[in-house]
Amino acid sequence: MPLSFGNPWLLAGALAIGVPLWLHLYYRRTPVPRDFPSLRLIRLSVEAMTRRMKLRHLLLLALRILVVLLLTLAFARPFIGGGALSAGTGAPAAFVVILDNSLSMGTTHQGISLFNTARARAIEIVDQMGPYDKASVILCNDPGTVLFPQLTWDKNELKEAVRNAPLSAAGTNLAGALQPALKLLAPVRAFRRTVYLVTDVTKSSWEPLLATYDLKRIDPSIDLVLVQVGDAAPPNLAVTELAIDDPMVMKGRPATLRATVVNHSAQPHATRLSILVGDDKKSEQAIELGPNGSKRLEIPLTFGDTGFQHVRAVLPADALPQDDVRHLAVQVRAPPRVLILRPPPDRDGKPNREDLFLRFALNPLNRTEGALFLVDSRSPEETGEVNPAEYAAVFLVNQRSLPDALVKSLSKYLLGGGSLVTFCGPRVDPAWYNANLIDGLGGGYLLPARLFKRVGNAVSKAVAYQLTDLDTGHPAFKPFGTDGSGDPGRAPVYEFYQVQPNPSALVLARMSHGLPGIIEERRGQGRTLLVTFTADTGWTTWPLKPTFLPFVHASVMGMLSRQGINAGAIQPGTPVSLTVSEEGLKRVTLTLPTGQSQEIPLRRDNGEGLLHLTVAQTDQAGFYRLRFEGATEREEAFAVNPPPAESDLERLPQSRIVRFIRLEHQAGSKQSLGQKVVAVREGRDVSLPLLWTLLLTVLAESILANRPLRLGGRASS
Amino acid sequence: MTTSRLSRFLDPKVLASLAALEIKARNVVEGFVEGLHKSPFKGFNVEFSEYRQYVPGDPLKDIDWKVYARTDKYYIKEHEEETNLSGYLIMDTSGSMSYRGGNAPMSKLEYAATLAASLAYLMLRQQDSVGLVTFADGVRRVIRPRTGMAQLKSICTELEQTAPQDRTDIGDALDRVAGTMRKRGLLIIFSDLMDNADTIINKVRQLRTRRHEVLLFHILDHHELTFPFEDTTLFRDLEDRSELITDAFSLRREYLRRLQQYVGAFQSALRKSGIDYLLADTSRPVEASLKSFFTRRQSVGARLA
Repeated sequence: MPLSFGNPWLLAGALAIGVPLWLHLYYRRTPVPRDFPSLRLIRLSVEAMTRRMKLRHLLLLALRILVVLLLTLAFARPFIGGGALSAGTGAPAAFVVILDNSLSMGTTHQGISLFNTARARAIEIVDQMGPYDKASVILCNDPGTVLFPQLTWDKNELKEAVRNAPLSAAGTNLAGALQPALKLLAPVRAFRRTVYLVTDVTKSSWEPLLATYDLKRIDPSIDLVLVQVGDAAPPNLAVTELAIDDPMVMKGRPATLRATVVNHSAQPHATRLSILVGDDKKSEQAIELGPNGSKRLEIPLTFGDTGFQHVRAVLPADALPQDDVRHLAVQVRAPPRVLILRPPPDRDGKPNREDLFLRFALNPLNRTEGALFLVDSRSPEETGEVNPAEYAAVFLVNQRSLPDALVKSLSKYLLGGGSLVTFCGPRVDPAWYNANLIDGLGGGYLLPARLFKRVGNAVSKAVAYQLTDLDTGHPAFKPFGTDGSGDPGRAPVYEFYQVQPNPSALVLARMSHGLPGIIEERRGQGRTLLVTFTADTGWTTWPLKPTFLPFVHASVMGMLSRQGINAGAIQPGTPVSLTVSEEGLKRVTLTLPTGQSQEIPLRRDNGEGLLHLTVAQTDQAGFYRLRFEGATEREEAFAVNPPPAESDLERLPQSRIVRFIRLEHQAGSKQSLGQKVVAVREGRDVSLPLLWTLLLTVLAESILANRPLRLGGRASS
Repeated sequence: MTTSRLSRFLDPKVLASLAALEIKARNVVEGFVEGLHKSPFKGFNVEFSEYRQYVPGDPLKDIDWKVYARTDKYYIKEHEEETNLSGYLIMDTSGSMSYRGGNAPMSKLEYAATLAASLAYLMLRQQDSVGLVTFADGVRRVIRPRTGMAQLKSICTELEQTAPQDRTDIGDALDRVAGTMRKRGLLIIFSDLMDNADTIINKVRQLRTRRHEVLLFHILDHHELTFPFEDTTLFRDLEDRSELITDAFSLRREYLRRLQQYVGAFQSALRKSGIDYLLADTSRPVEASLKSFFTRRQSVGARLA
């Protein structure tokens, strides 16, 4: 509790405590000499009394010092609870109201919205502004909003800002709100400075602040006042996770939806979870949740339409309805088309079959209906009228060289979001590859690594290399991450190209003596993968092994699924950025969860012919759709969901809140919040209580000092 | 000169107030002089007691020939003899007896001497013999018991000349007195008893065991009884000159409690042994203390000597 003084110069009177000290010592040193018949009884009495006498002396000394101190303090007019150094001085006030508008403030309990209560409290605080006071308002949702970057005198403007403050679906960022508040108050040292934090004090929002921020180091002349709204945490159920594990969702093929429901209460709860695609309810499941328990559900789901689908997991509404629904944007695809650029026929005119293993791997039954991939195998010369953009992935297999036009179109295709997989082989000319697929394209290069020389001998097969150090975290090798799921390293590789990966490339697998074996790099919006050996049995037996097919599938799916926006982890208020190929693009339109549409401004990148888009209006939770209009039309979509931590409404124990002055206020209290705010701001004059204490102390001193006089009597026969 | 000395301790007012009283030993005491005191022994004089048959060895002069004439048998006529009282006034003259509190009319020694002289006068007037023993850390002077008013002069002179000094050792003085008194007698002790309480009680009990009658005047100043001091005080011991600084104000309660215990110990132990104990406050008039003394002796049924 801060302490200040109306007449601080009178504190010099505290030096008068020297008087009782001097008297105490003086009387101890000048005893009255007196003859007495015998000291026998006195000595016996002194032994018994010594301890009590010392204690009594010390008590008397303490009481007398206390009397002087209390007298001095009372005359100095101490104030408690006000702006530490300026209370009682009449200085104007500068303050910042931090209004918590995070998702947890959306709780309604017994029909009362916490956020409405918080706004009312904030307005009451602002109402106490004097004519020379100035203030600001900060919203402490994540990442936080400073509504008034400068302190303002306009009370009405402040109240209007508070009145119009929206409830956010985002989390709480207390540190992010406190720092700008302190920064605003730092320069106005002549003012009584206060930060009012109006919040529900949830544990999940305060713990990060307490862990990272030392509140005791805040300038002690700035008062931190906590105005808590909401007493106890009401029971709350929430959907905290909604995702699809499949890397690609195909139309008509079953996918598995994963949803997690959490019970934030000490009581068990039974509820029902509904899954909706668009407005169609696809399933509903009954769930039993234990106290503070959670349940993860795996729900099979089949999509009938292609394109981006809005999937929702919905619980019946409770105290915090905003977290009872969770959104997911799912891209449902038709079977993607894959182009294989096969090598030209041999010199003797026999057709080259090196693409055979890839075709069988991608579409084993060569079906046109129900296939995972539709494969189109062409020689480079046959691609004159082919637009690579029509294909989800392009395989470049053991090519000696490519037409210039194809190289350029592949470069554009890659930067615009295409997937390129290159297999090496005996036809590959490293010099041509490095010169035309890397150096000749500037920033639009196609390969993730520079080729050097061949290693090993596939004819003699003297040395067999193996794939090691597989990056099982990468989608291409994820199928082999668990024991018993196959090991691509068991296939021997007799010959391969020694390569030098680009600085931003990832080595997904190495050969057994450490040289890179498979390399991937992100290029623009697309990805390029290089396999340093053949796709047929010329240099390796891998295409004959059962691990080859999963590798090819996972590689392509991984590249496709990571295109566009990562829709799973976007929180409210987080800007969403993406880069698209500028070719033919005219307009991008954003459709908000409310159904409103707005055009997104385009920012052109000088380097690679790309456009950067940023969607900043992500304050609401829900499904966002982006429509790209130009030469071709396409869509992107993403979902915004509240942070799961906001669903936990448990309050932080008061004992853990340091530095803050708690301002307790209940509806119907005798004293209004405004009066309490004034009391904290102005401080409380404690001169009178001090004088009463002084009187009691003097009384106690008199009683203690004269106590033996009451014990009259004499020894008699 | 003599008159002035006598008048100092023999206050006429005191003596007048005591004129009606007679000092007698509570029990029968042995003595030489016929007087008012009952003798425990059968003798020749004064009051017939009984006859008994002659047994060989009895002096022939004690045979009552008249009875022989009537009965033809030898009878011895026995008498109960009255004898005079022999007493010692045992006076503590240690340094502590020089104490005189702020408003006290006299020091403790002066008060005790006045008491002693008054009692000596009364005893000598009724033909008892009185002696004086003064002591401090040892016996300083002994005046053997005699009758006659000349003895009073000797006692008063000695009391007048004695200056209080040294520590108190009552035990040695009582041992000396007990050794001197071959017959039972009256011992009147005047002291502030600034010695070990158990030692004093034991010695006095030993005297009682030898069938001496013991009276003890415990002389204390009013300040000793009330401890009215309030300041931080440097107390100086009048016997050994040791010093002690203490807060008298705080000490008072504990001091009075311990004094009460000390006095109570004497009262209970001595009365159980049949020893008269009187606490004399020097602020009270001497005659008041003496009256209290005699009144209590009468109340316990003793015929005052």
